[in-house]
Amino acid sequence: MKMDAAAYLGAWPFRSVEGTIRGLLAAMRELEVGHALVSPMPALFYMDPEPANDELLRRLRGRPALWAAPVVNLRLANAGRYVEQLAQHPQVRAVRLAPGFHGYPAAQVGDTLRALADHDLAAVIQLRVQDERSHPPTSFIPPVAIEEVIALAESVPAARVVVAAPRQGEVEDSARAERIRALQNLWLDISHLDGVGSIRRAREAVGVERLLFATCWPFFYARSALLKVEEAELPAQETERVMGGNAAQAFRLRADQ
Amino acid sequence: MRERHRAGRRSSGGRSSLIIDFHVHPGFSASREGQRDQLERILRDARYHHVDRVCISALADLSQSPTPEQVRQSNDSALDLMSNYPEEVIGLCYVNPLYPDEALQEIDRCLEAGMAGIKLLIACKASDERVDPIAARAAELRLPILQHAWYKRDGQSENESTPADVAALAARHPKTMIVMAHLTGGGERGLADIAPYENVSVDTSGSEPEAGITEMAVRKLGAHRIVFGTDAPGRGYGAALGKVLGARLSPREKALILGQNAARLLSGRLEP
Repeated sequence: MKMDAAAYLGAWPFRSVEGTIRGLLAAMRELEVGHALVSPMPALFYMDPEPANDELLRRLRGRPALWAAPVVNLRLANAGRYVEQLAQHPQVRAVRLAPGFHGYPAAQVGDTLRALADHDLAAVIQLRVQDERSHPPTSFIPPVAIEEVIALAESVPAARVVVAAPRQGEVEDSARAERIRALQNLWLDISHLDGVGSIRRAREAVGVERLLFATCWPFFYARSALLKVEEAELPAQETERVMGGNAAQAFRLRADQ
Repeated sequence: MRERHRAGRRSSGGRSSLIIDFHVHPGFSASREGQRDQLERILRDARYHHVDRVCISALADLSQSPTPEQVRQSNDSALDLMSNYPEEVIGLCYVNPLYPDEALQEIDRCLEAGMAGIKLLIACKASDERVDPIAARAAELRLPILQHAWYKRDGQSENESTPADVAALAARHPKTMIVMAHLTGGGERGLADIAPYENVSVDTSGSEPEAGITEMAVRKLGAHRIVFGTDAPGRGYGAALGKVLGARLSPREKALILGQNAARLLSGRLEP
């Protein structure tokens, strides 16, 4: 199974992106990736992400190769009940939490991690989407510190936590890498890893079992993620893990679902 | 993994496609050995993607304003690396415009030793008149200048050029071939700044592989004014090539960006 662990549908408010289901399916065909975990991009900016999540779930209906990671805003008082509601949906395999976008401390995620674990859902915690140097003048979205996400995974061992959009330096820091390697419930999406030998280096730092193929399409060119994995020239078994095997564990997926 | 996602000869239906990476910095390491190791790692990935040539510039210690001696040492290390990989590595001469006489002498020295262009970083803004002698010399020698530029929301260095600075330089020196670095760093504003100046191209390096930026550059400038660049080793080949190979462009446009435009800029100094 090959799976994109970070794809989105919908609009980005500051520039035009494709974001259509047709475009997503075309990108997946081009990359020969059969499955994707999809979140609604507008929900990162909505105070109440529910309408964007509803739209996402409508778009994904009848498409069993696409799983959903709706966005939940923990600043809303009903977030806990909303997680319970989302957990009933057969295509929901994770919840995407974006503390930087919605303006709450990552430390606040702890209780939600326990709830997600109870519902057998993974938590995807978004560090960023765009290079902070290029944020629009009217809207700076602070990155989430990866240390906080590692600490959350350490504090809730029953939870399955995916770090979305870490940078190369954040992963390679030796102290952090050691903590990540020690965790069995933490994974990293590769969408924002970059630099010569980025995937080889990340593999050396945290282990291949922690890495999830992820494109950040339509915000990024999907091809970039695939080329990063290809150029690493990992053993076939390791490539299979990065391209989908690890995601199957992180999101408790089966290709025939 | 299948071959067809890769760039170059094996990925385009058997057609030969020249690929030149216009923007590589082999290390800020103090030692020559460290720089050689880093360049070898860069070339490993470049070869995997069938990149034919890489243009390197050694940038001393990223100092705001390196001394002529520091500049000379940096270029010596680049010349050393060129000699180790004569088939693959093209050198760009790094100079500091704040030392105009020494900069011109250094350009002559490096050109004599086989370099094929000039690199300007952040010693002063491109719009500064102290860049003029270098720009004039580049036009005279038909050398391209790779000029760093970025529009940063925060953290722009005091003397770091924006694309508007590059446009000002281009307006004063219409016969000088300028490659503005960092397409994604300049973004939409950067493209608007340089669009009127046909003597300015942009390299595809900078930041992350934001979808649509390469197509936008083609719409605003034309494919003939875009050159492929990675900014390796800080950025890698996979992400950088995805910006071109993943873009909705014609095979001809991609071929121009990947190598043909750079070959034109380096014409006369690039062995066939």
